[in-house]
Order: sequence, then structure tokens, then C-alpha cells
Amino acid sequence: MIEYLEPLINGILLGGLYGVVGIGLSMVFGIMRQVNLAHGDLMILSSYFSLLFLQVLGLHPLVTLILVAPLMFFIGYLIQLFLFNRVMQRGMEPFLMISFGLSIIIQNALLLVFTPDARSLETTLVIKSVDAFGLFNIPLIYLVNFAAGALVLGALQQFMKRTYMGWAINAAADNETAAKLMGINPKKVYAYAMGIAAVTAAISGVLVGMTFTFYPHSGTQYLIIAFGVVIIGGLGSLPGTFLGGLVLGVSQLFGGRILGPGFQLLSGYIILLIILTVRPQGILGGR
Amino acid sequence: MLANRTRLILIVVLLAFLVTLPLWTSRYVVNVGLLVCLYVTLASMWNLLAGYSGMVSLGQQMFIGLGGYTLAVSSVYFGVPIYLSVLFGGFMSVILAVLISMSVFRMKGVYFAIGTWVIAEALGICFSNWGYVKYGMGMFIKPAYKLSMSGVYYAGMILCISSVALVFFLLRSNLGLALMAIRDDDKASETLGVNIFRCKFICFLLSAFVTGLAAGVLYLNAIFIQPFEAFGIGWTVNLLFIVIIGGIGTIEGPILGAIIFVLLQQFLSEFVGYNLIILGGVTIGVIFFAPKGIVGTLQEKTGWELFPVRRQ
Repeated sequence: MIEYLEPLINGILLGGLYGVVGIGLSMVFGIMRQVNLAHGDLMILSSYFSLLFLQVLGLHPLVTLILVAPLMFFIGYLIQLFLFNRVMQRGMEPFLMISFGLSIIIQNALLLVFTPDARSLETTLVIKSVDAFGLFNIPLIYLVNFAAGALVLGALQQFMKRTYMGWAINAAADNETAAKLMGINPKKVYAYAMGIAAVTAAISGVLVGMTFTFYPHSGTQYLIIAFGVVIIGGLGSLPGTFLGGLVLGVSQLFGGRILGPGFQLLSGYIILLIILTVRPQGILGGR
Repeated sequence: MLANRTRLILIVVLLAFLVTLPLWTSRYVVNVGLLVCLYVTLASMWNLLAGYSGMVSLGQQMFIGLGGYTLAVSSVYFGVPIYLSVLFGGFMSVILAVLISMSVFRMKGVYFAIGTWVIAEALGICFSNWGYVKYGMGMFIKPAYKLSMSGVYYAGMILCISSVALVFFLLRSNLGLALMAIRDDDKASETLGVNIFRCKFICFLLSAFVTGLAAGVLYLNAIFIQPFEAFGIGWTVNLLFIVIIGGIGTIEGPILGAIIFVLLQQFLSEFVGYNLIILGGVTIGVIFFAPKGIVGTLQEKTGWELFPVRRQ
């Protein structure tokens, strides 16, 4: 039993990170009923921004968030305002295609600027580890990830519940016409929502960049992880996203332990496919 | 009558052009022609799913990878004649399509798109961890050296012509009528006795079969097959570009789109790194300014179709 405690604990901690990876996708779906295929690339874009600030200004990766988060908010806001808002009324496909086009553009622009080399946001957090009951070691970075993940999800939950902007976003999501009558400009609200989603992408991008190496094309991999998280938890459900992260993290590490490291991603995908088949609306998804 | 005659002449000219291409041009042009033919085939099959059956698949690469690997394994390991191996690739794709259909047909819309993508990724991981197909390093496809360029070209051309004909006659058949009814209103059509599952299932299998065949021919022309490239989302991205630029839900769209795509690819290959950025920009531009694609927009303006599938 003891030997499975390690993948369980680390899986749960990894799940906290996956929760933040998925939350932006989940938010956009919950609010606009659209799927942003460029979400993973926005994450990796943030990782590279952080790398840039880290190299130029010599900041700690977590500190670079002070610059990266507002920058990504701005980018998300503009993307929604000038690209996505123009196709919101035309169903699912145009939005999918535009975000796909955006994804390709970001990936290849990164490739052009930063070359295909593997990068990472180096910190001492990766080397340090915490001794867990004298049985195994937990990398310190996993604890940081989990704490940050829980913090982001909690903060977002409170933001949606307590602030005017949170209410406006919910109102526009529930009934656009009624929200308009109440003096809410849905287009602007959607732009804010995409900005916030981009901020979560910035946070997850920096965390992922500190934990793993990344390439210009890594966005696709994280997009699929985000899908996994969001589908397991139910598209558009905030607590579900956290649960989805945990399920995916634990199943990946268990799969890796039992079948070998090459199958780590595969076991996550298989859980995802089983859930998609049995409950296409996710574990906590209402509809 | 006049419109019909123009149509016939145009089709005959196009066919004559395709058939005689290797006789009067260079090897390079034939290669470009082959690429166009294969992309027309692949894009028509994606269009059959996304444009006519309402199944936006992001997982066509699973059939491309499987077709390619079947070709490699059966021709290299078992010495099966090369074109028979291509056929095997098609059959393997159908088997895969039947196996996953129980799962993916429960998913709708976005979930279907994601589900098919995840299956393709999972297959990529399986193949890259499978010693029999040499893990992630990939396999050499040896017999490709012995084939003449024009032989491969004609295989691609036959596939291209038959896939366009297949979609055309499929849409003119009762199944085509049923598909359009489902696309317009699935609940109403089901009430009137259309078996939605059966219609979609047939399209899915046909699409898988032809995609598997096309993948075989595609890899005849390649020397090497590698799991993350063969099962990569890049294939479906290309198909998406082609169908969106050309016009989704039209027969001519994938043809025109494939020509534009392959030519753009050739011209832009000098600008390594920029070519995909430009393609991404073109896609976004087309969605904004010609939402129905080039062919769709032209058809709306002129009302003329090369392959009319509507019944007057």
C-alpha cells in the first residue's frame, strides 16, 4: 500500500496545478459556450514572457507574474474584443477555427523568436524537496503548485460571487438579452472574462514553466490536459475543475507507476475517454 | 442545358489535365499534383463529416497514422505487395472506426471534437511505446524507393477522383437527403423516420476507409513514419484550413482549398517559420470576410455549381 501513497500524494498535488491549467478553458466555456483552442498556447506564451523578464530583469519566476499577468490580461481582452466577439453569434465552428488559427500563429511566432530548444524557468524550488513521513520525498515545487492552484481557484470563485464584474459576467452568461436590458454590455463583459481566463493561463504558464521544460509547441499538450480536467469536472463548473485536476493528476501518476513512465499521459487520456463515453457532461456537470 | 454542357466540358478538361500531367511536366510538378490529389481526398472526407454530417472531428490523424503504419508494417515486415498494403490500411482504419464508434457517437459537438482528438493522441502514445514499430524513432518505409513517381501519382489521382465522385453520388442518394435533413433539424428528421445513427455511422466508416487509403499513398511517397508526426494534430489542422478556405459543406470547396493550400505551402516554403503564421492569418481572415469560404461565397453570388447536389 505504502508504495502507492507516493503517486497518490504527488498526483493530488499535480492535480492542483492541472486545475489552474483547466480553469481558463472551463470559464470561457461556462460563460460563452465556446471552446478556446488557443488556451494552451496562451499558457506557453506566458511561460516565454516570464522567461524574458527573468533573463532581462533577473526576477524570480513567481515575481515576474506581476508583469506577465497584466500583460496577458490585456492580450486576452484584445483577442476577445477584436477576434472572438465578431463570431460569437455564429455557432461553435467559427470560434473553434479562429482560436485554432490563433494557436498556430502563437506557436510559430514563439518558434521563430525563441527557437525550438527546450526552456525552463529555473528556480531552486525544483531541487528542494520535503520529506513526507520519512517514506518518500515530495518536490517543493509540487507543494507551491498546489497552493497556488487552490488559491487561484478560490479567488476566482470569490470574484465571481462577490464583485460587480463577477455578477455581470454571470448575468451575461445566463441571459444575454436580459443582461443588456440591465445596462450590461455583453461584449465588454466577455472581453473581461477572456482577460481573466488569460490571467489564469499566465499563472499556470509560469507554474508549468517552473515545474517542467517547455517548447513552443507545448501548448497543444497542455490544451489536452486542460480538456481532460474540464471534461472530467464538467465544462463550466469551477469546483468540478479542481476535482477534474485531481482525478487526472492521480490517474496519470498511477498509470505511470503501474505501466511505466511512457504511459503516464495515456492513462490520463483513457480515464478521460471513459468519462466522456459514460457521462459526456462530466462528473459534476449539470447538463 | 448550356450550364450542363459547360459543366461536363469543364469536368472532362480537368480529368484530362490530371491524367496527362505526368506526361508533359517535371517530376516536381507531378509531386505537387500528387499532394493536391491527396489533400483533396483527405479534405473531402473531413468535409463529409464536418460539413454534411455535423461531426466536427479533430481526430482524422488517427486514420492517417494507422493507414501509414499498416502500410509500413505489412510491406516491411510481411512483404505484402505495396498497393495491397495500402488497401489493408483502409481496412484497419474501418476496424478502428467501428471500435471507437460506440464511444464517440455518444459525444456531441465540442465533445465529439475533443474525444476524437484525444483518441488520436492516445494512439500516438501507444505507437511511440510499442517496440514492434520501433518506439518513437519511427520506421523506414523501404519499398517506396522502387515505385515510380507517376505510379504513386496515379494512385493518388484515382483516390482523388473517386473520393470526389463518392461524396457527389452519396449526397445525391437517399443518404444525402437524410444527411441534409439531419443537418437542418435533427429532431424533425428523426420524427420523420430518418435513422440518424445509421447515416452518421456510414459516413464515419466511409471517411475512415478513404482516409486510411489516402494515408497509405501519402506514406508511399515518404521514406519514414514517426508516431508523433503521423498521429499529430497537424494533419487535421491542414484539412481544416483547406475546407474553411475553400468552403465547408460544398464539394468544390475542398478541391479549390487543397489547390490553394498546396500552392501556398510551396511558395511559402522559402519563408520557413512564417508560412504557418500566414496560413493562420489567412484562415482568420477568411472566417471574417468570407464565412462560407471562397466557393461558398462565389456560389451565393453566381448560383453556379460544378457539382450540383441539390434537387431542383
